[in-house]
Amino acid sequence: MPYTITDDCTGCAACVRVCPTQAISGQKKELHRIDEDLCIECGACGRICPGSAVKNQFGNLCIMIKRSQWKRPVVDSNSCMSCSICIDACPTHCLAMSDARGPKDPHGSPFLKDEKACIGCGFCESECPVAAITMVVPAPRKEAAPARPAKKAVQ
Amino acid sequence: MGRGYMGKILTVDLSNGEFREEAIPDEIYEKYLSGLGLAAYLLYDRIPKGADPLGPENILGFVSGLLTGTGSLFAGRWMVAGKSPLTGTWGDANCGGSFSPAIKRCGYDGIFFEGASDRPVYLYVDSRKAELKDASHLWGKDTVETEELLQEKYGPGARIAVIGPAGEKLSLISGISNDKGRIAARSGLGAVMGSKKLKAMVLNGKKRIRPFDQKAVHKLSRTCNKWVRFQVPLGPSIITALLGTLLRILPTAMAMDGLIYKMILRQWGTGGLNQMSPEWGDSPLMNWKGSNVDWPLKKSKSADPDLIKKSEYVKYHCYSCPLGCGGKCSMTGKYAETHKPEYESVLALGGLCMNEDTDSLFYLNEILNRAGMDTISAGATVAWAMECFEKGILTREDTDGLDLSWGNTSAMVSLIHKMIDRDGIGDILADGSRIAAQKIGRGSDLYTVHAGGQEPAMHDGRQDPGFAIHYSVEPAPGRHTIGAQLYYEMFQLWKKVKDIPKKWPFQIYHKNSKYKASKEHALSAASCSKYMNVVNGSGLCMFGTFLGVTRTPTFDWLNAATGWNKKPEDYMEIGERIQTLKQAFNIKHGIDPRANRLSDRALGLPPQAEGANKGRSVLIEQMMEAYWKEFGWDASTGRPTGETLARLGISAHF
Repeated sequence: MPYTITDDCTGCAACVRVCPTQAISGQKKELHRIDEDLCIECGACGRICPGSAVKNQFGNLCIMIKRSQWKRPVVDSNSCMSCSICIDACPTHCLAMSDARGPKDPHGSPFLKDEKACIGCGFCESECPVAAITMVVPAPRKEAAPARPAKKAVQ
Repeated sequence: MGRGYMGKILTVDLSNGEFREEAIPDEIYEKYLSGLGLAAYLLYDRIPKGADPLGPENILGFVSGLLTGTGSLFAGRWMVAGKSPLTGTWGDANCGGSFSPAIKRCGYDGIFFEGASDRPVYLYVDSRKAELKDASHLWGKDTVETEELLQEKYGPGARIAVIGPAGEKLSLISGISNDKGRIAARSGLGAVMGSKKLKAMVLNGKKRIRPFDQKAVHKLSRTCNKWVRFQVPLGPSIITALLGTLLRILPTAMAMDGLIYKMILRQWGTGGLNQMSPEWGDSPLMNWKGSNVDWPLKKSKSADPDLIKKSEYVKYHCYSCPLGCGGKCSMTGKYAETHKPEYESVLALGGLCMNEDTDSLFYLNEILNRAGMDTISAGATVAWAMECFEKGILTREDTDGLDLSWGNTSAMVSLIHKMIDRDGIGDILADGSRIAAQKIGRGSDLYTVHAGGQEPAMHDGRQDPGFAIHYSVEPAPGRHTIGAQLYYEMFQLWKKVKDIPKKWPFQIYHKNSKYKASKEHALSAASCSKYMNVVNGSGLCMFGTFLGVTRTPTFDWLNAATGWNKKPEDYMEIGERIQTLKQAFNIKHGIDPRANRLSDRALGLPPQAEGANKGRSVLIEQMMEAYWKEFGWDASTGRPTGETLARLGISAHF
């Protein structure tokens, strides 16, 4: 069952830009639709829609999440088999294989090469047979961390 | 919820640029699986009787495996099938890399090409469309250059299969490459692609591959991965070489457990056998007339696994492979990097030609990969030319001034360049040794070693008669990736399949027993063929299956991915059906199975006078008959009987 767009769609086209399979079409400021043959249920349209106008494959309305809060893959290189299933599963091709982990471990590890392209779909996590990938909300950047409350605490 | 397969194929008619999408009914997958089974089912029906392999009537199919993309391990093999121009028989070639899931992500289990284009084209497919595009700017470029240009154009997600100059020039020993040097090299199918003027395929689909029960598939994969991870450091590579010597000296042999071979693969890759194999007589030397006496450790040191591994900077894993037997190596000279030369390439370009130059192994491997030419057949053809030179059949006049003495590295390099360019003597050799011998005559055919026209791989049937049987009886003759007595030991099929011979790991037996033309050996060989058809229908890697059928759970994976509830015996019957279908393909095209028998020299007729295989010969006729009998084919002709065809539900086209 593919994702669907409800009548609340304002035609802002945010989903069109984020969809990795170009499954969404429609004129600007008009109701958009999802091509069910092309939809891969990655959920990016639901996460980006500001009008909560997207239903997932189970018919539930999706909730918008700020893009900086979308989950990103973190690879546990100890359990990773370097099999590249995750790299193939990624619909935006944002993962790549690293060079050898070290002199004693000549195998590579997948890493998030293009962070901006990641849509947080979690296919890499769900297709990994050995659960070496976990999707986590990225920690806020250091320079953006609110310093003021900490200072207050010290005072 | 899916069943692992996509349920559709795409057919491209290159003559008129038309595309045809076809749904494949579920019962076809249940009868033939996907992968090579599906290809055999379609090509048996669709390639007309007597079709010219290099003509528009031949159909070239690219297929993925049933297990590819379902979460099972080792399922990254893609396969090419068609009528082979090298042997005139059923032809297929198998390759790793990242191309296999890409076929399924476009929504298809296979992409088939009919007709022929009148100008160079390449196929582009994504989830939305399929297009043929002009490839005149790519024609003449090598496989790596072409892949880089197309990758640049279509981005990192595009998966590309391509032929090089060898395929374009219709060399009958050319293959199809992906991932910059992994080649589906055998059966000469690169020439079929070249004859259709199809330079490349670019696949950029994003469809999801849905197994029936992914959790169950993953659970099986995790157990399998534990076995892959189980690794004992094997020490320096000289230990493998000395083990080879020990295996030669002992009068007894021991049934092998694939876990040991897995450890060798994990540490060195296939090259782990580079020195061991010639020592115990597994690798042919000096165009199959030499032995370990001619290629002692001092000489085989040029291909020392540790030495080759020194230039490896990262392991190379095919899609869904936890093992990583491949490697990427840095190189000095014209090319900065290459895939680690595999065992077959090293021995074909090394020991078979008595070439002791390590650097040349890397260089020749890379130029052959770039040209899209089979390293096994190329090495074997050069070795044959060297013997003709030694015997005076070829002189410097014939060889454009090249001194083709055994082990003359610079002459080898020049000759292989000529073969790739089809220049002078290279034009004669570019189609393999059988055709070269037909062109040269003068008794040179006495020194060719082939089965049905294809040069066998670097595994000697005089050491393991199982190889000799499969070289001779397989519908695609000369293939080393189906069965052998060693493979049978490692597959450990008896643990799952009833009524087949048991060969427990480390069971000791006398070497002489290997050469008996017994029912047990025929049954083992037939089981290998059946099982490998299941493996090739699933898209699994043979090296993965060497771990044994309980550790690499082929049958359980298939049930979990498809939702079927088939018993191992049911799968073996599917394998039997596919094998019979491929044999029926050959009969339909007028092939006499008896003519695919391996050349005398490689069978020990007459036996060698010295070395590891001294005094050994293979009772090939008896073994071929016994093998055919196991399949219910006519034991004297190798033709599937009407009764067998009816039992397996195959219609007779002959």
